Amino acid sequence: MSDPQPVKTSTLNRRKFLTVAGAGVAGGSLLTMLEARQAPAQIKGTTLRILQWSHFIPAYDAWFDNVFVKEWGEKNGVKVRVDHIPHLELPARMAAEFAAGAGHDIIHNGSSILTRLYYKSLVDISDIYEQAGKKHGGWIPAARPLVSVEGREYGMPMFYILLPMLWRKDLFDQAGLKPPDTWELARVAARTLKPKGHPTGIQFSQCADANLNWRSLLFSFGGAEADPSGEHILIDSKETREALRFAKALFDEGMTAEVFSWDDASDNRFLASGVGCWIHDAISAYRTTEDTNPPVFANTQIALEPAGPNGKRVSVSAANVYMIWKFSKNQQAAKEFLTYFTDSDREGMIQSRGYNMPYLTGFAKKPMPIIGADPKMQILQDFPNIVAFYGYPGPFTTPIQEVVNLFVLPDMFTRIARGQNVEDVVKWGMGEYRRIFAKHKTA
Amino acid sequence: MTTASLRGGPEPTARAAVVSVPAPAAARVWWRTHSAQRKVFGYTLLAPAALYVLLLVGAPFLFSLWLAVSDANVGDPVARFIGLENFRAAWEMDTFWIAFQNSVVFLVVAAIFKSLLGTSLAFLLLQQFRGKKLIRGLVVIPFTLPIGISVLSWKWMYDSQFSVINWALSRVGLIGAYGSESWPIWLGQPHLALAACIAVNVWRTFPFSAIVLLAGFTAVPLEVIDAAKVDGCTFMQRFRHVVVPMIFPILMIGFLFDTVFTLSDLSVVYFLTQGGPGNASKILPVLAYQIGIQAGNLGRGAAIALFLVPLLVPALFLMLRNLKRREW
Repeated sequence: MSDPQPVKTSTLNRRKFLTVAGAGVAGGSLLTMLEARQAPAQIKGTTLRILQWSHFIPAYDAWFDNVFVKEWGEKNGVKVRVDHIPHLELPARMAAEFAAGAGHDIIHNGSSILTRLYYKSLVDISDIYEQAGKKHGGWIPAARPLVSVEGREYGMPMFYILLPMLWRKDLFDQAGLKPPDTWELARVAARTLKPKGHPTGIQFSQCADANLNWRSLLFSFGGAEADPSGEHILIDSKETREALRFAKALFDEGMTAEVFSWDDASDNRFLASGVGCWIHDAISAYRTTEDTNPPVFANTQIALEPAGPNGKRVSVSAANVYMIWKFSKNQQAAKEFLTYFTDSDREGMIQSRGYNMPYLTGFAKKPMPIIGADPKMQILQDFPNIVAFYGYPGPFTTPIQEVVNLFVLPDMFTRIARGQNVEDVVKWGMGEYRRIFAKHKTA
Repeated sequence: MTTASLRGGPEPTARAAVVSVPAPAAARVWWRTHSAQRKVFGYTLLAPAALYVLLLVGAPFLFSLWLAVSDANVGDPVARFIGLENFRAAWEMDTFWIAFQNSVVFLVVAAIFKSLLGTSLAFLLLQQFRGKKLIRGLVVIPFTLPIGISVLSWKWMYDSQFSVINWALSRVGLIGAYGSESWPIWLGQPHLALAACIAVNVWRTFPFSAIVLLAGFTAVPLEVIDAAKVDGCTFMQRFRHVVVPMIFPILMIGFLFDTVFTLSDLSVVYFLTQGGPGNASKILPVLAYQIGIQAGNLGRGAAIALFLVPLLVPALFLMLRNLKRREW
């Protein structure tokens, strides 16, 4: 009798069978769950805590807290608590929660995206980031650098806020001016309309809008802060000097000194009061005017980002990203929620009255909700092709985060407007950038 | 009964026994002595307060010292010792020197105005008039209002376009209309911005100075004032040579509190200007917050925040020593 030989069967053994069957069941369940938009049973009975800003559209917060989150919580058996704080306080709260190792499960970042600063303490959510991209036609190119560190994604880009050109058609028509399609045309308009009592204004101050607006101008002029790697400083350039000289001329010819005191909401009031001939701001200014001064609103138009001298248009927008803390005891529910939130992007756009813009190209198809239906706002649908964030063309690195938070670039523009020499301004700015970059390199 | 016992002394044998009491026994009973027990009791009563100060003041202070000599970063749980590097880096920042200078100007100017206004208000509140109690309650409102709300109101009053201050000045003809050269931009012109921030700080805290002074004034015996009056002292002489020396300890404590409150006042400047325009109103607490929290460099932020300590500690030491001398 010979020794028993292993039975030669087909290639399917028990282990393979279990693997294939298990994968099939898991895949089937996942598909079923996704189909039903239902989270797995293990998150039932848990609590999820979310910290986010107070949205500029209050109705959005009411919908988010009382309808959207409530429905998801009831469907999945999860108790969800949402806390709101002003967006400027988010970095401090994040630092406090990091130090305590406790707090919310999901934390929102607005404008100042701190992924690179905290990624060691954030959950790697590359899986749901990739899934969302596949499901909704891919992310716009500017999305990944916001959340990606060393090839992994630590945040979910949820929406961004545009700062387009808002201009008074009636005033432009009366003076025979062309729409502000380029920065030069915008300057001519300001120069023409200021003597008639309608100056323009962009914040020469330390606020979020100043950081965004002056970067839009700088990048449209061909300038850059850092190279695509994010390692090398490019602020000392011919393009920066041109942008600074242009800003100085724009201030001298078309603005008043009040822009030195402006905060993020001052230009909203400036437009709504009927004084401003154009501003470069989020559509909250447009909505404020709609609510407070209907005659001015009727004559207010929205334009594409003005082109620089070489026809380049870069619109630097306020990014909004959601992250999950590693110390969260409910990471599974947090991931499920963020997936559901991303899938509901369209509803978010509607509830924010067109304020929230999508990172996912599937949601950016024309006609987009709200803005696609409004003739004056339709132009906003063309922005996804030219949108950029801090650090462009590179990623939003930690040195750039510090440059942004210390308002170095707005300070450069403020210095030039106050009469400092261009070379001195560039030298000062370069010194600040160098000092910050060197410190982070050493660290 | 022996003669010795009659005289009240111990028997010779007993005396020997007393003499032969071993030394350790005496040491064992030391803590049972009345004075020792009083000391123990005193320290026991003091312990909760000492523990409170150590935990709530000492520990954070030591922690900030550690942060200042480390490369601590908000996103990194591990920090390493880097010596005085953060102080050196701050020293080399021109923004730091602007903030340092502004902090000193802020402190001195605010202190002068608070002294003047606080003293005047305290004298006014000393007078007898109808509704005095109500007025005394009302004057502390700026100090008790949540700072966010009160500063927001001021921000509106300083608004470049809708400023009620400018509107009033314009109505009485002191300045031109909106858009004219004489229309002040309170938070947009460098010197005006710092002055506007100081004004809000003074408005918020001078009632505190007034209350402290009022408490001091009411503690001065009327007989002493009357005696000075009989001697022919004028109001200013009575104030300078009688009242001030008598309330000096209260003045010093008030000054101490005020210095600390003013130097650590982040909110007024942060809410009004964030340190702008172009760092013109930036003070050290704002710079420390922006670098330490917003930009994430805890170490450098802590170093900037601690920069005033070497200046403040000698001043506080001299002030407290002066107070102690006067007590004796």
